[in-house]
Amino acid sequence: MLRYALRRIPSGLLILAVASVVIFLLLRATGGDPAAVKAGSDASPDTIAAIRVALGLDLPLPVQYFRWLTGLFTGDLGYSLVTGAPLASLIGNGLQATFVLTFAASVLAVCMGLVLGIVIAVSSGAGRSVLDGLASMMLAVPTYVSGVLLILVLSVTFNVLPVGGYRPILQDPQIAMQYLAMPALCLALPAAGVLARFLATSMRQVMDEDFVRTGMAKGLSQGRLLMRHVLPNALPPVFTVLGIQIGQMLGGAIVVEAIFAWPGIGSVLANATLARDYYLIQNLLLIAVSVFIVIQIVTDLAHAALDSRVRLEQPSP
Amino acid sequence: MSRRAVPKANPAARSAQGAPMSSASAADSALRRGLRRPRTVIGLGIVAVCVLLGLLAPVLSAHSPLDQSFGALQSLSLTHPLGTDELGRDLLARVLYGIRVDVVVAVVAIPLGALVGCTLGMLSANNRWYGTLLQRSFDLMLAFTALIMGMLIAALIGSGTPAVILTVALVNVPLFGRITRSAVMTQLSRDYAVAAEVLGVSRSRLMLRHILPNSVDALIVQAALSFSMAVFIEGAMSFVGIGVRPPDPSLGATLKASINFLGQTPAYSIAPMVVVTLLVLGFTLISDGLNQALLKR
Repeated sequence: MLRYALRRIPSGLLILAVASVVIFLLLRATGGDPAAVKAGSDASPDTIAAIRVALGLDLPLPVQYFRWLTGLFTGDLGYSLVTGAPLASLIGNGLQATFVLTFAASVLAVCMGLVLGIVIAVSSGAGRSVLDGLASMMLAVPTYVSGVLLILVLSVTFNVLPVGGYRPILQDPQIAMQYLAMPALCLALPAAGVLARFLATSMRQVMDEDFVRTGMAKGLSQGRLLMRHVLPNALPPVFTVLGIQIGQMLGGAIVVEAIFAWPGIGSVLANATLARDYYLIQNLLLIAVSVFIVIQIVTDLAHAALDSRVRLEQPSP
Repeated sequence: MSRRAVPKANPAARSAQGAPMSSASAADSALRRGLRRPRTVIGLGIVAVCVLLGLLAPVLSAHSPLDQSFGALQSLSLTHPLGTDELGRDLLARVLYGIRVDVVVAVVAIPLGALVGCTLGMLSANNRWYGTLLQRSFDLMLAFTALIMGMLIAALIGSGTPAVILTVALVNVPLFGRITRSAVMTQLSRDYAVAAEVLGVSRSRLMLRHILPNSVDALIVQAALSFSMAVFIEGAMSFVGIGVRPPDPSLGATLKASINFLGQTPAYSIAPMVVVTLLVLGFTLISDGLNQALLKR
């Protein structure tokens, strides 16, 4: 296990390091001039030049890159080019809101995916086709469609949940949950569909194995066989999928946050992109990529811990 | 049958393994079987209708999607079958012309991404050094999930349809690259490939004439999936404001605008919702049907 981790973690970190260089260079090389953004549209060339020096944009690129990295590790990310607000607090607030949303969505996705997957695996005939279709719909329908549909049904028609907005979870949990329910459900639907389909396929494969027949012949009850023997053996491959889905949620959160006016990292990134707030974009992109890579590593390690074939596999050339 | 798995003056390779010799034609018939599966047929039908609606937009709608001269937020009527938006533009025209944007994005971006991805995939399967480098590059690109990639591109070249096209193409490169690589590696280990190499068939000829045609199944399935992804990405990018620029019509942007008026004119949101869902679902069904026939033998 340790050997697998020693192989997996450095390669992930290497990709992360390269990603940081790529993001930095691309935004510096082809993006606009951060000094011009900060100066505003009717600034004189002299003003822009002065701001360039103040921001350290006249320094060599490697020095600028190194400064950015040290800033990341010390928490000193600098200030927004547009509003002048400290980036650390902008990003911190956004991350908090997105974490709440993603966590709630992951829990919902796992619950819905488990139940739907098991039901699909044990059902047969027309029932299975219908449920299979339901799972396919869940994963295929884009969040910006299901989100608008949820608002149309739950807010406009039945008026049970607020259209959008955000309340901090610690102040008034009951109200906060009402604001959280629809965005979390919307973000969870595609992941739940994917999980359900993978789990159903995986369970059906396990059901064909000899030990299940032995269990049946031994007279184990259907439920016990399913829950104690089939499910645990069907879960490991599903874990990998779950990791990928949670990683994808950060991207998905951008859309969901835009639908429900949720002030998470996705909203911050979308606004930063539109305003060309380069420093903010640079940090947010790196955060998004890091989260994805870290989740991938954790998933792979968990998969390896559960399945010895993965960790003993020879590295591919 | 124009595609041959093995050159005709190559009896050794022919007898070396029966299956690969006929596998190009087997793939053809599998593809034909895949195209006849109910899911594929339904998917193709849905997509065909949607695309046709988009192509016939000038015939089907009397109005321009940019004409603001009508009353704002009208409900359904004979002159405006889907009503009008908050700026007094005909919604039917905006939805129909919005389909065209998706068609353009998909038709330009996916072949581009697939071409680059397949080429890199083949290169990576052929050379150990390139192989590792390209594999890691694919990993790097995959770490930028679709919308994060979209944000990066929009920050670099500005929002707009070109940004959407570039994003869709870039997202597809590692997908096609990985699939090509693994398919090519599988084929290269087959007896017929070894035999062809022993007989002195040049590497490039082996790749292009024999390996690639035999690897095409997985690529076709991925292509169908990529089309559904293209519709999704265009909608999502336009929805968050970094895609198609207003006033040009886009299904995603129309949906986003409709949120503010759901209470007054629910019809505003319904047509773009239905069309986006049908397009995405149609391509997913095609890919599912082909997948069952081509890959899960």
